[in-house]
Amino acid sequence: MLLSLLKHSFLRQKKAMAMMVVSVSMGTAIAASLIALSMDIKGKVSKELRSFGANITVTPKIEGIAGIAGQRRYLREEDIIRIKTIFWRHNIVGIAPALEENAELSYGDKRRKITAVGTWFKKELPLPGETAKFEAGVTTVSPWWAIEGSPPEAGGVVLGSSLSRELGVREGDEVLLDERPFKVTGIVETGGIEDGRAFLDLWDMQQLKGLPGKVSTISVSALTTPMDEFAYKDPSLMSRKEYEKWYCTGYVTSIAKQIEEVVAGGRAKPVWHIAETEGIVLGRMSMLIYLLSAASLLASALGVSTTMVAGLLRRLDEIGLMKAIGADGIQIIVIFLSEALIIGTAGGIAGYVVSIGVAKVVGLKVFGVALSERALLLPVSVAMALLIAAIGSLLPIRRALKIKPAVILKGAR
Amino acid sequence: MMDFITVRGAHREYQTASALRGVDLEIAGGVWCSIVGPSGSGKSTLLNLLGGLDSPTKGQVFIDGVDLRTLSENEMARFRREKIGFIFQQSYLIPYLSSLDNVMLSQYFHSMTDSSEAEEALKRVGLGHRLHHRPSELSGGEQQRVTVARALINSPKILLADEPTGNLDRENTKLIMELLKRLHEEERFTIVLVTHDPFVSKWAERIVTMEDGRIIKDEPLY
Repeated sequence: MLLSLLKHSFLRQKKAMAMMVVSVSMGTAIAASLIALSMDIKGKVSKELRSFGANITVTPKIEGIAGIAGQRRYLREEDIIRIKTIFWRHNIVGIAPALEENAELSYGDKRRKITAVGTWFKKELPLPGETAKFEAGVTTVSPWWAIEGSPPEAGGVVLGSSLSRELGVREGDEVLLDERPFKVTGIVETGGIEDGRAFLDLWDMQQLKGLPGKVSTISVSALTTPMDEFAYKDPSLMSRKEYEKWYCTGYVTSIAKQIEEVVAGGRAKPVWHIAETEGIVLGRMSMLIYLLSAASLLASALGVSTTMVAGLLRRLDEIGLMKAIGADGIQIIVIFLSEALIIGTAGGIAGYVVSIGVAKVVGLKVFGVALSERALLLPVSVAMALLIAAIGSLLPIRRALKIKPAVILKGAR
Repeated sequence: MMDFITVRGAHREYQTASALRGVDLEIAGGVWCSIVGPSGSGKSTLLNLLGGLDSPTKGQVFIDGVDLRTLSENEMARFRREKIGFIFQQSYLIPYLSSLDNVMLSQYFHSMTDSSEAEEALKRVGLGHRLHHRPSELSGGEQQRVTVARALINSPKILLADEPTGNLDRENTKLIMELLKRLHEEERFTIVLVTHDPFVSKWAERIVTMEDGRIIKDEPLY
C-alpha cells in the first residue's frame, strides 16, 4: 500500500519531485565535489606549500660532555637515503644535505671569512631495495633558489649574489677556497643568508675540510597532515593506542620522529614556522570547504522543504482524510520520509555523478591535475542527499502532523 | 452502567461562535441513532466529538468506557481506526487510488492489507465489478458505497455518518440506506447518522433533534 501511495505521489507530482531531486543532487554535487577537493587538496596544497622550503631539519644530536665542550658532531652521509625507508617515505619529496664550515675565500687580493656549504643541488640516489631512484638536492627543498649559471660540479663553486658582488666575482672566474682553486660556475640569489655564502659539491667540501662521509644538517621536505590538537600531545605521555595513531598519521612531528630513528645520532626538528603555516592554511581551507558544503546542503534542504510544503498544501485533503480514518503521526511520517528516501537516493546518485565532473574541472583549473574519482564518495553523497531530503521534510512533516482532520474535512465541504 | 456512547455537558466554542452549548447524550451499543436539525445546529460538531476528530472545550465524551480527553493524539488515531468507521457527505476517497486500494488504505492504517477481504467488502456493497475503478470513474452513489466498504472494513464498533446521502439523488439515497440497514442488521454496530433529510433519519431506531447547539428532542422510533 505504501508503495502504491508513493508511486502515485510521484506520478502526480512529476515536476515537483523532479525539482526536489535536482535540488538535492545540486546540493550533493557541490558538497561531494568540495569533499573530493578537501580529500585531494591537502595533498596538492601541501605539495604547493613545499615550495616554502624544508619543513624538517636534521642536525647532530649533541648531548652530555660533548655539548658542554662545544665539540662538533656530524651526521653520516650514508644515512641520508635511509630517510626514504621510513613509514611515511612516500611523503618525503625533498632531501638536501649540507656540510657547513668556515672557510677563507680569496679572489685576487681580496680575502673574506665566509661560510662555505657543501651540498647537492640535484642528485639521483638509488632507493634501497628498489630500482627507482630518488632525486635529492637543494632544488627539491628550496625550488626558489635562482642560479645564474650552473650548479657546482667537482672543482666548482656557486657564490651567493651579495658575496659575488662584494668581491666582484663573475661566473667563470676562479677563486681560492682555503687556498684551493675552484671555478665559479654560477651565482645564486635566494634573498636570504645564502646570498653571502659559497656552495660546493658535498664531496668537494668533505675533501676540503677532511670530513669524508660527513654532513652537518639534512633538510627534509615532507608532505604532512596539518597539526591538530592531538598532534601537539607529548608522545612520551601517550597510551600505546594513541602513540600508534600518532605514529601512523603524517604529522610533521611523527615524520620527524621516524627520521630520527633512521639517521644515526640525528635530531629531527620540524621547522615550526613552515609546519604551522601549512597547518593554518590547510585548516582554514578545510574549514572553508566544510562551511561551503554545509551551506550548499542547507540551501538544497530549503529547496526541498519549500517544494514539499507546496506539495503538502495540495494534499491537505488527502492527509486530513488519512488522519480521519486512523493514520497516526508515525504513519504520516513514514509516508513523507519514504518520499524523502526516494528523492534522497536519486538525488544522491545524480549528485555523485555530477560531482565527478565538477571535481575534475575544479582540479584541472586550480591544480592543473584532475582530481581522482573516489568510489567512497558515492555512499557519502547518498548519505548527504538523504540528510538533505530528511531535513527538507522536517517542516512539511511538522505541518502535516498539525493538520486537524475535522477542519480540513469541514473546510473542503 | 455506562452506555456505549456517553456525552456529558459537551460544549464546543469557536472564536466567534458556540457550536455546542451543553449537550448530554447516551446511546446504547448497537443502536442506530439519527441526529437531525437545521444547518448550524451543531450536528456535525457533535459527530466530530464522537469520532475524536475534535475535542469539546468543556464536558466529556466517553466511547466504550474510554474518556476521549485522556487519549494522546496517536492514541486517538489508534482509537479511530480500531473502533470507528466514518462516512462523510462527500465521498472523500483518495482520487488516484482504485476502489480496492481506497478500502485497503483503511486496512493499511489499521494493521495490514488483505486484498481478498477488501474485495469481499466491495462485493457486499455491490461493487464487485468496480474494484479497479478510480473515484472519478464511479457515480456518486458508487463512490459513497466505496466509503461504506472502507468504513466497515476493520469491523468498527461505531459507524459515524455525516450527511452520507447529502449529494445523492433519491434512488441512490435509498440504495445507500438499504445497504446500511442490511449491514447494521448483520453486524449490529452502533450508527450515529447526521442528516437533515427526514427520509434518511427515519431509518434509525432513535432520532435526536438539535437546535442552536442543544438537544431539543430525543425520540425512539422503535
